[in-house]
Amino acid sequence: MLELATHVPNLRKLHECDLSAYDALYLGDFTCPLYSGNFSSSVADLRKGVQHVKASGKKCYLSLYAIPKDSDLPWIKDLLRESRDLPLDGIEVHSMGLLRIVRELRDDIPIHLGIFGNLYTHETARILNRYGVQRVFPNAELSLEEILYIKDHTPVGVILPLHGKIPLVISATCFVTEFAKIVPSHCEEACAQGHWLTHEEWQLKNIGRANVSGKDLCMLEHLDLVVRQGFDVLYIYALGEDPAYLKTVGSIYREALRRTMAGEEFCSPDWAEQLRSLAPIGLCNGYYFGTCGQEYVGRELAVHDR
Amino acid sequence: MAKLMAPGGTMRMALSVLEEGADAVYVGVRGWSRRGADVELKDADLKDLVGFATSLGKEVRVVLNTMPRSSEVSLLLKKVDKYTSWGVRGFMITDVGCMAQVRRHFPEIDIHASVGAGLTNAEDVKFYKEMGATYVILPYRMWLDEVKAIKKTIDVGLEIFLFRTEDQGGIICPGKCTMSSYFKSEHVVDAEGKDYFYGSANRGGDCLRICQVGWGLLGQQCSSKKTILKGNPLLWLNDLSHYIQAGVEYFKVPGRDRSDGLVRDIVRFYRKVVDEILASNGHVVLEKHLPELHELRRRWAPERNRRDEGLVARAKA
Repeated sequence: MLELATHVPNLRKLHECDLSAYDALYLGDFTCPLYSGNFSSSVADLRKGVQHVKASGKKCYLSLYAIPKDSDLPWIKDLLRESRDLPLDGIEVHSMGLLRIVRELRDDIPIHLGIFGNLYTHETARILNRYGVQRVFPNAELSLEEILYIKDHTPVGVILPLHGKIPLVISATCFVTEFAKIVPSHCEEACAQGHWLTHEEWQLKNIGRANVSGKDLCMLEHLDLVVRQGFDVLYIYALGEDPAYLKTVGSIYREALRRTMAGEEFCSPDWAEQLRSLAPIGLCNGYYFGTCGQEYVGRELAVHDR
Repeated sequence: MAKLMAPGGTMRMALSVLEEGADAVYVGVRGWSRRGADVELKDADLKDLVGFATSLGKEVRVVLNTMPRSSEVSLLLKKVDKYTSWGVRGFMITDVGCMAQVRRHFPEIDIHASVGAGLTNAEDVKFYKEMGATYVILPYRMWLDEVKAIKKTIDVGLEIFLFRTEDQGGIICPGKCTMSSYFKSEHVVDAEGKDYFYGSANRGGDCLRICQVGWGLLGQQCSSKKTILKGNPLLWLNDLSHYIQAGVEYFKVPGRDRSDGLVRDIVRFYRKVVDEILASNGHVVLEKHLPELHELRRRWAPERNRRDEGLVARAKA
């Protein structure tokens, strides 16, 4: 049974987006607790969000702040205690300290390791499994071969991103508010517009406390390989994206996965064009084929950088 | 007792910092530390260095803090086995699985949880202690109150850098950045089967310092403004006596990729200051040392800039 998942930061995005293509949603923006209405820091909104997601028959995970300082731990513990009665299917952590806390406060719930949890080896996956981790998000630098090894040599599930801008770095301070001289607590989602950082030919997208890849990871034409290798928890990166992006990308991959499973032709030029149109800097394959992250390893379709 | 730990980016640097009074020297070995091979030692040099340090009653710590492939974990264990047989008693490690394996197979050695582990809170420290860490290397931006609280509540050794970011902006979390390898990455596998992951700081190649070029914001009114994405840490002195009194065990001098002469002078400076603090039971006036500190910072900046320029040029090549 395949699962296609993505992240949704708050109620506004949850209501604005057509998320019918997705089987599961990670609720919360793990990069910034100040993001308006963030499910990761607002239990009232989280309660409404879970209710909404469950009513649509999807799985629902809570995503926690990725790099908490000691001063963040009390409010995160409160969130965990106050969400105890919610029908969550899992909790995502990126911090080993939070892993300990979730295990202590919520030993009844599966734990997922997020992308900034620095999962590089099967040995780490095995250790984390003893702490209650049932699913891991491998570090973006891993090749498909390495990820496959972890999937096949550990008892944990592995989530594999298929598309979107790869989170490359997370910061404890906000680039947007620093650059624009805005008081962080009054930022009013200044980061949500997306800010393109440029240096000569290099481009990155800044979303406040994180930089994501300028290019969009795109595994559409390699989808049969992914399915053949047995990856069944798949993911679309959503940090800083608008509703149209999530709808279009999700629906293309949903249908492409259906066709792949049915043994049909799964990659149409029309879809490739749609995905290119959503990626102003171009497409890449991340680190999956042993290259640097921004390379695209084309196979059949001529999907080139713009 | 506070110990001064200094870098050995070259054999010459390693020997000189021990002669200048460092209690311990930390060295990377080819392919296994978060720096390029040009500032890592060959195994033969490491063996000689251990002999020299042991003759002085001092320590060698080996940095094995890359994020390896799953298939490289066994190579790491072989490295630890070989180096312990030469007399090495401590290793810096980042990967959780590797750390647990090393602790299991080598219960007597010291493990330092590397700064690459990206700790941000006391619960993280507890986790790495549970993984087998003897010492935890705290990030540049953990301040005195936090360090004191950790020391008071958790029975684990602490290590801090004599290097921190004074400016609170651009706080990229150590170990949680892959910008360099996004733009440039190459695989070079040595005879032992270790991939050097050129371009990836986390995995062993040099970080190509993508964050240090002038970045602009596209389409903004202030589009001519350029900025770096990460603040540069500086050598520091303020509060050093308080950190020593708080019980921090290791004070780490940075600079594996700086010149031998600069690092030697930094070690000489901190040796003098730490000895004064220890002799006066913390009641020392550090202000008198500020001119010398500022001179070392002044020498540091151009060396850093030159290295950064070289790395960025490699990223663009």
